[in-house]
Order: sequence, then C-alpha cells, then structure tokens
Amino acid sequence: MSIALACDNITKSYGATTALRNLSLQLEEGAIYGLLGRNGAGKTTLLNTIAGGIGADSGTIEVYGRKLSKREQPNACCYVRAEFSHFGGARVIEVLQIAAAVYPHWDWDYARELLKLFLIDPGQKIRQLSSGTRSLIGNIIGLASRAPLTLYDEPVLGLDVLMRERFYKALMEDYANHPRTILLSTHLIDEIAPIVEKICILEAGSLLLQENMEQIRMSAYLIRGNSEAVASFTSGKRVIYQEAYGRGMLAAIYEKLDDQKTRFAKEQGLSIETLSLQKLFLYLIEGGL
Amino acid sequence: MTITFDENIPIFQQVAYIIEDDILNGTFRVDEQILSVAQFSQLFQINPATVVKGIGLLVNEGIVYKKRGLGMFVSADAKVKIQQKRKERFHKEMLADLLSEADKLGLTTDEIINMIKQLRKD
Repeated sequence: MSIALACDNITKSYGATTALRNLSLQLEEGAIYGLLGRNGAGKTTLLNTIAGGIGADSGTIEVYGRKLSKREQPNACCYVRAEFSHFGGARVIEVLQIAAAVYPHWDWDYARELLKLFLIDPGQKIRQLSSGTRSLIGNIIGLASRAPLTLYDEPVLGLDVLMRERFYKALMEDYANHPRTILLSTHLIDEIAPIVEKICILEAGSLLLQENMEQIRMSAYLIRGNSEAVASFTSGKRVIYQEAYGRGMLAAIYEKLDDQKTRFAKEQGLSIETLSLQKLFLYLIEGGL
Repeated sequence: MTITFDENIPIFQQVAYIIEDDILNGTFRVDEQILSVAQFSQLFQINPATVVKGIGLLVNEGIVYKKRGLGMFVSADAKVKIQQKRKERFHKEMLADLLSEADKLGLTTDEIINMIKQLRKD
C-alpha cells in the first residue's frame, strides 16, 4: 500500500509549550484514520501543520511522496477546521463558491445535495449560523472537495445526534464511492469506532498508539476477579491499568488473547470483557502505559 | 440505521452474522444478490474495509459467491452451511458460557436439562 502522508520527527513549540514532540506518523492511502487525544494533546496543531497553516520548528512532511516546504499548503489536501468560522459576512453559497475554486475535484451536485441533507439555507450568512451548522459547512466542503487527503478537526462538534448520524452516513457512502485518505479528530470516540479503519492516539504531543481498529478490538480487555487470579493471569502480559478493590482486582490489558486463553481465564473464575475504544483510550491515558 | 455492535466480537464477524441472519430469515434467497459493500457500509455506518472483510469470510466458507462485475450472491447450500457452522458455535461457545454460569450457581446437569425441557414446553 502506498503512503499518502508521512510526518517525520516533527516538533512544534509555542513559547515554553511543546505542542508536538518528535512526532512521526504515516498514513496509508485510502484509509480512514481516527485521531484521538485529550484537550491540548496536539491534535489541532498536527492537522494545521500538515495543512501548512503553521510551520513546524523541525521535521519533515511528505504528501504522496513529495516533501513539502515550510508552510506549504499541499494541493491534494483539504483541511476542515473545527467550527468553520471564515468569511463571517459571506453567505453560505459564496463560501462554497470559494471552495469550488480552490479544490480541483469539487462536485457541485454533491455539495447541493449535502446542503439539503443538512437542512442548510445557502442564502444565510456564516455569522448567523449556529456553531453546529458552521461545523456542517466545513463538512460539506470536506466531502464535496473530494480531496485525496482530507483532514477534519472535530467535524461533529456542536452537531445534534441526527446531524451526526447524517454526517457519518454521508462520509461512509462517499468514501465507499470515492476512496481517499481521511484523518478525523474527535472526542466522541465510540461513535467513530465502526467508521474508522485505524486509530492514532496523541498524548502530550507524541504518538502514543497507532493501530488497526480490528486489532484493537482483539487486544483490549478488562479482566476482573480475585486479586491473585488476576495477577497470575496478567503476569507477563502488557497491563495498561490496574486498580485493586478489597480482595478484588481490575486490570486492563493490551494483548491479543485467543479462545484458549479466554477460556482459561473464565475457568479461573475471572470475568473477561472487551474494552470499548473509549475505555481503552481512558486506561491508556490514566495508566500512562 | 445504526445498530449497536457487540463489543466482544470483531465487527467484521458481526457483518458476516448480519448477512447470515438475513439468509436464514429469507431476506436474501438462493442465487439472489446480497447488499453491496457501499450499501452495507452506508446502511450500518461501518468502514467499507471492514465490510469487505466480513463478506470475505462468507466467500471463504462458500456461503456467498462472486459474480464478476455484478456482486455477491447467495450460494445454493448457504442455509445448511450457516446452520452447521452456527450449531458448532452454539455447542462450543454458547453452551460453554451457559455451563460456566451454571457452575457458579451450583446447578446440576439434571437441573439444567429440566429447565430446558420446561422452557421448550412453554
């Protein structure tokens, strides 16, 4: 598989604060990636650096094998900022006209279809829109741009459940018909779990984990039971978090378990369940790996 | 439509179960076309790569077959194959889980069998 985006050893500081710390990341062409991280973990800085909005202090970025110069805005890339807020005085339709001029693969029919789907009046001014509707304007641009590399920063911020579902559905449908590379940041972790193929977790400006969703689902478990039984079962395994209660113990592990091991755990009287992505994220951050 | 996915089973396997269920309940009959990857992906909001993997399972097991350029179709013996496979899973996994719960409760085999017979009568 070819590489759509390669970030190598990127560092970016704002004064005394290091937002990105020697971060290296590769995205395969044609996959959807979820970008997770706490507030201040560096998600927006990373997306904005890739899009050329800010220049990294050091490190290199390659898009489709071509190294970008500092603050170069790659042609193949569409970056959808959180809560679209440019051109406040412009009407929705005017903003879409600007986007149409910028993105070579722009599809007007699809953009109009999305305006209807998201119940947006194209004559309204951007500053009159609610924050959720502004997010949707950004999402329409992200979808209709059909850019080979699309970056979404919090695309569902402020959206109600109906609009979130409509966005996910549109994203899936259009991705199936027009495959491209997508990197999408969000705090609604479990909502995007079935949608994304791979996950990147940022913590304190570094990449904490990059993994296939299916791999994660087969590797993230919560074990509960008698302390000794838990300790003996988890010994030699990668324990990411544990907490004792009375004679009991709760342990989150990150390790692929086959049926035999799962059965063995149950025979030892242990309860064993798969961790949701959100829980895994929580334990990784809490436990510090 | 969004369905709640069981966190204990990989999603691609659940994709296969959904299609199997639809074959068992007659939604898709023999030699009829099943949903395309794009349709399935949009309907259930699942990554297309995951859907491809799930359908791949069914192809390997001979439950659906591919017609080049057209899509995936239900095999003649799909129902029998699904039932065979699921009976095995019923035996080895579901009954095993049931027995491990029964052990915690101190139920004897006879007691369990009587409970099953009782339910069957109702």
